[in-house]
Amino acid sequence: MTHVLVIEDDPVTSREIEAALQDHGFDVTLVNNGREGLLAAISDTFDIIVLDRMLPGALDGLGMLTALRASGITTPVLILSALSALDERVRGLRAGGDDYLTKPFEFIELTARLDALNRRRAPPSAANRDSRLRIGNLEIDLLRRSVRRGERQIDLLPREYALLEYLAQHAGQVVTRTMLFEAVWNYSYDDRTNVIDVHIGRLRHKIDGEGDSPMLQTIRGAGYVLRSPE
Amino acid sequence: MSYVRLSEIPRTISFRTALMFLALFGCSFFALFGYIYWQTTGYLISEVDTALHREVDRQTAQEPALRRTEILKHTEQDPEGRLPYTLFDSAGTTIAGALSTLPTFSAYDKPAEFFWDKANGHDRPIRYLVHKLDDGSTLLIGQDIHDIREFDELLVNALVSGGSLLIVVGLLGAIALGVSARRRLDVLSRSIKIIVEGDLSGRLPTRGNNDDIDRIAGVVNGMLDALERLMSEVKGVCDDIAHDLRTPLTRLIAGLERAQRRSLTQKEYASAIDTAIEDAKGLMQTFRALLRISEIEGSARRSNFTLVGFNQICADAVELFEPLADERGMSLVFKPCEGVDTVMGDSQLLFDAVCNLIDNAIKFSPDGSDVEVTVSADSNNCGISIRDPGPGIPEEEREAVFRRLYRSESSRHTPGNGLGLSMVSAVARLHDMSLQVHDARPGCRVDLIGKAQNA
Repeated sequence: MTHVLVIEDDPVTSREIEAALQDHGFDVTLVNNGREGLLAAISDTFDIIVLDRMLPGALDGLGMLTALRASGITTPVLILSALSALDERVRGLRAGGDDYLTKPFEFIELTARLDALNRRRAPPSAANRDSRLRIGNLEIDLLRRSVRRGERQIDLLPREYALLEYLAQHAGQVVTRTMLFEAVWNYSYDDRTNVIDVHIGRLRHKIDGEGDSPMLQTIRGAGYVLRSPE
Repeated sequence: MSYVRLSEIPRTISFRTALMFLALFGCSFFALFGYIYWQTTGYLISEVDTALHREVDRQTAQEPALRRTEILKHTEQDPEGRLPYTLFDSAGTTIAGALSTLPTFSAYDKPAEFFWDKANGHDRPIRYLVHKLDDGSTLLIGQDIHDIREFDELLVNALVSGGSLLIVVGLLGAIALGVSARRRLDVLSRSIKIIVEGDLSGRLPTRGNNDDIDRIAGVVNGMLDALERLMSEVKGVCDDIAHDLRTPLTRLIAGLERAQRRSLTQKEYASAIDTAIEDAKGLMQTFRALLRISEIEGSARRSNFTLVGFNQICADAVELFEPLADERGMSLVFKPCEGVDTVMGDSQLLFDAVCNLIDNAIKFSPDGSDVEVTVSADSNNCGISIRDPGPGIPEEEREAVFRRLYRSESSRHTPGNGLGLSMVSAVARLHDMSLQVHDARPGCRVDLIGKAQNA
């Protein structure tokens, strides 16, 4: 089972996070300050750490993260912050964070991102190593940037290809619109839901052509998932 | 509290003014005293001279024998030599009188002074007159002016001590003035500090005597009144926001209560929950947008500005919206500029702003029309203009559309939270860019223009 360490000082938020993560099937340990968080992260093995940027006491989120990285622990860290400023985000990632989420956030967003971090941690699959991704009968050549479904060659625009590649790398997982936007457009997301939906619609139209069973599914209230059709 | 450092006093205006007046007063004091000194001593000496002349005249008029007897008698009666009258023969030997030798003199009948070394060792200043008598003898009429000299000295001493006293008292006064001014300013600056720290209801203390500081304090208090009013207006905006959020919140609660009240099937419950979640997410989005705007408005993000290219930002935004426009049979025409397209800015914020403008343009334009995104530049400025053939924005609403949560009548039925243009306006302000809505006849053109920066 995936073991998550949550370092968050606000009791309401931390309880909500705990409930959401447990429902998602994670094993959760709660800690409410940086010092204890650092001790826990060093002494125990966790798969992922969720870290609040603002923590009471001498060791705040970034300080704790810096100390953690300095002690050689590479557990993926997702930073939660009330500060959305771009440079805050950059600072968080520079201090050793792997992802950054601004409060207030939706829990579906949190769990989707944690899934992505968890997968990144897993050893690369055979498909990754031979520079080809295969999901069902969909095959993506990462070097030639070409896509086939069965015998059918699919022509994608560069942005459509980038979307598909990201979805394929997270195949079987829910990917939120925000994650797509950040990964594919390199800007952080500003609630432009319908815009992404249109892009996904076009992509879906191309890969799930007539006669094929649908692979690119919309998860209501969450995002999208690319999975093999069986 | 009221401790004032001595080194601070010379810097106060009051102390400097007091010092200047002390110098002025000192000068006039010395001038006046000098005049009095000069007049008084001159008067006393001229009195002596008159007496000497009178005595010479009297002696001249007498018989030589009588004169000699009188002088002898006079000398006898004046053992202290207060008026040392002496008669010398033509050879300069004393015939009668107190003096043994004739002092050197420049001219007859002209008052002069000499120091008389008396036999008893005293040294007295004598003012005298030498007169050549008809019988060949010389008459010296003198007067001890020791008292006058002493009086002079007394006057000078009075001048010096009085002057010193004046300076000391004046300096003390200046220091006292400096201290009091400093204290008063300290009280004022403490009050200002408290106000700066956030207590906007605080005011500067006044004494009610309408002096200079009182008047400045009055002006500052007036300014604080205006500031407080503005702050309460800002609070009014917050109240508006709260009001605008109440409607969706009420709808959300009503929906949930309705679901609770009616006995619903499993499926109906699920749909009620879905509706509630959608409503709540809508609220959250509004909140996020509001937070974002205030973060932009309140931020010092300029420190993170880098050179960003308008062409690139617009190309990204156009590329993002192209499919959306396409769906409605519209085309998004992008015209990049040839010249310098770089400005100092935050690419994320500028991208968001352009996206908001394009989103609006598409939203309000009829199906099948064209929306133009143009980047233009001259030697100084670099701008983005977005033109749509929609209904346009009436002149009187062009300022209002940038207000938070403002929805014009015509846009009530299109989806949105009334925050998009506020966000654009906040970004423009942060970047010192001008943001203007123009009439494109037909439609609307929004220009975002900033200062061009060469890479």
